[in-house]
Amino acid sequence: MQDIIRAENVRKTFNLSRKQQKIEKSPANKKVALDGLSFTAREGEIYGLLGPNGAGKTTMLRILATLIKADAGDAFVAGHSVSKEPDKVRASIGFLTSELKLEDFFTPAYLFGFFGRLHGLSDEAIRRRQDDLFGKFGIDRFAEVRVRDLSTGMKQKVSLVISVVHDPAVIVFDEPTNGLDVLTARVVTDFLAELKSQGKSVVVSTHIFSLVEKLCDRVGIIIGGRMAAEGTLAEISGGKSLEDAFFDLYERTVGGL
Amino acid sequence: MKNILTIMKKEFARFFKDRRLVLGTLILPGLLIFVLYTLIGTAFADGNERYTAKVINPSQQFSVAVGAGGEDAAMTLVTADVSEKEDAIGEIREGSLDLLIVFPENFDGLLAAGETDAPPNVEIYYDSASSSSLSAYGLAVSALDLLEDMASNLFNVNFGAGGDLSTAQEAAASYYAMLLPFLILTFLYSGCMGIAPESIAGEKERGTIATLLVTPVRRGQLVIGKVISLSVLATLSAVSSFIGTFLSLPKLMGGSIADTIGSYSVGQYFALFAVMVTAVLLIVSLISIISSFAKSVKEATSFSVPLMIVVMLVGLSTMLFTVGPSAHAAFLIPIFNCVQVMAEIFSSGFVFVNFLITVLSNLVYIVLLVFLLTKMFNSEKVIFNN
Repeated sequence: MQDIIRAENVRKTFNLSRKQQKIEKSPANKKVALDGLSFTAREGEIYGLLGPNGAGKTTMLRILATLIKADAGDAFVAGHSVSKEPDKVRASIGFLTSELKLEDFFTPAYLFGFFGRLHGLSDEAIRRRQDDLFGKFGIDRFAEVRVRDLSTGMKQKVSLVISVVHDPAVIVFDEPTNGLDVLTARVVTDFLAELKSQGKSVVVSTHIFSLVEKLCDRVGIIIGGRMAAEGTLAEISGGKSLEDAFFDLYERTVGGL
Repeated sequence: MKNILTIMKKEFARFFKDRRLVLGTLILPGLLIFVLYTLIGTAFADGNERYTAKVINPSQQFSVAVGAGGEDAAMTLVTADVSEKEDAIGEIREGSLDLLIVFPENFDGLLAAGETDAPPNVEIYYDSASSSSLSAYGLAVSALDLLEDMASNLFNVNFGAGGDLSTAQEAAASYYAMLLPFLILTFLYSGCMGIAPESIAGEKERGTIATLLVTPVRRGQLVIGKVISLSVLATLSAVSSFIGTFLSLPKLMGGSIADTIGSYSVGQYFALFAVMVTAVLLIVSLISIISSFAKSVKEATSFSVPLMIVVMLVGLSTMLFTVGPSAHAAFLIPIFNCVQVMAEIFSSGFVFVNFLITVLSNLVYIVLLVFLLTKMFNSEKVIFNN
């Protein structure tokens, strides 16, 4: 299988404000979020970035989505460099995180059309895609209701379908099931599995072991901005449960909890 | 290009589908200005007010000087006896009388005699707390000054012959020529203030800008689409304010704005339009840059206030001075050049070179600002600083 996403020695530091320094109890005014992170996701698989809060998962995914830039190193999505061809990278991925909000003044149908046009789709293609996705997620009944009047779960579904309006080959989801009720979370995980069955490549970040065990073909465990271990689910687990394997690894890397 | 249009369409949809925005930005400003100016105008423009004064020892000369007696006389003089003096003062206190004037006996005779060693005293009783009494006092004093001047006469100015040759219409025109650049600039700025912070700082604050930034749209296209659509909306808002002013200003200032507006040629209007377009693009770009730095709409609005004060002061500059038509370099200063060119157009002293310098230099500034804004949209430190 071909590599679809490749991160090479990605480094990212953030400046800390005085207030943040106090919170972090650190005299340094910089925080290293990614410390030379490398990983490879292959075409047609679901790749899970697993790690505790603050490990750098979201930072890595935001770099892949070209929302922020790496200080050093580079990453490639479908052969395009995130630093040199950000427009092409954006055209080939669907990115979803809870920090991407929709203008709640508009209706799902309007926003779907708007983002479809920004992705360069024809009106006909947008209509077909909308019929398909709105039907699948039960949004069709709410297509003309303003986003502000929708329930949280429905909003999340609308965000989801809009992030894949252009039928991208690569889907990057940051914490796909965070904050969702069990029903909506199930819809999302089923959708990820379906994307895989369509031959799409998916990268998800999560700290939920069960999600990784259920969905992911390969896993990368990030601890402190570095790749602590990478491999298939079986290789990483080594006969144990993923949770136990993770804590063993964490102890070896950081030295106790 | 298609993306720019898509962005613009969305900005327009966001605006025109929102009844509150349309009401608050397009309808209310014009309506409020109209109502406010008309009210103020009605309160002040009571030019036909009539005053009543009681006079003891009436003077024929004074009566002529103050213009009493005719149908439209501003002051009616009622002769009173010395014994009524205290009563009249009481009436002024109550407000039922405006003025009491006590002339020395044979005042007209004293005037005819010319200077004396012991100048007689004219007593005028008035109440400065009452505006009509105060106005009547002013009227009486100026009539007396005139009489005094004539009594010790070397020469008169404009007595019997001579006078202001400007017609009322011309006077109004030059007045509006001074006022219009300021008004236009202020309206444009407040139009921008109502729209730009919401569209940029608001999208940042609500996290919707990130959703746009993960689409393949280039940052430059996003910026251009926003700046153009915001400029159109700001112009519409300014037009609303201008219509309100157009309809009510004559009531406030006298004269007719329509005569002023009707006296310019098509070419001058084209020039005016071009200058206004560059002005609004400049202002929108500036407020957009401020809004991009701001973390919230509130912050963006408060950051824009100092700039508004500067812009308004620059707008007032034509009332204080105008640069000479040959001082071309002054027309390189943004905003200031718009005001000066507009003043040149309104006072019919249009200089094409200055117009050209203004429009071209503004276009350069706009391109630079849009470039800067694009850089800012590309910078995670700016876009994700909240």
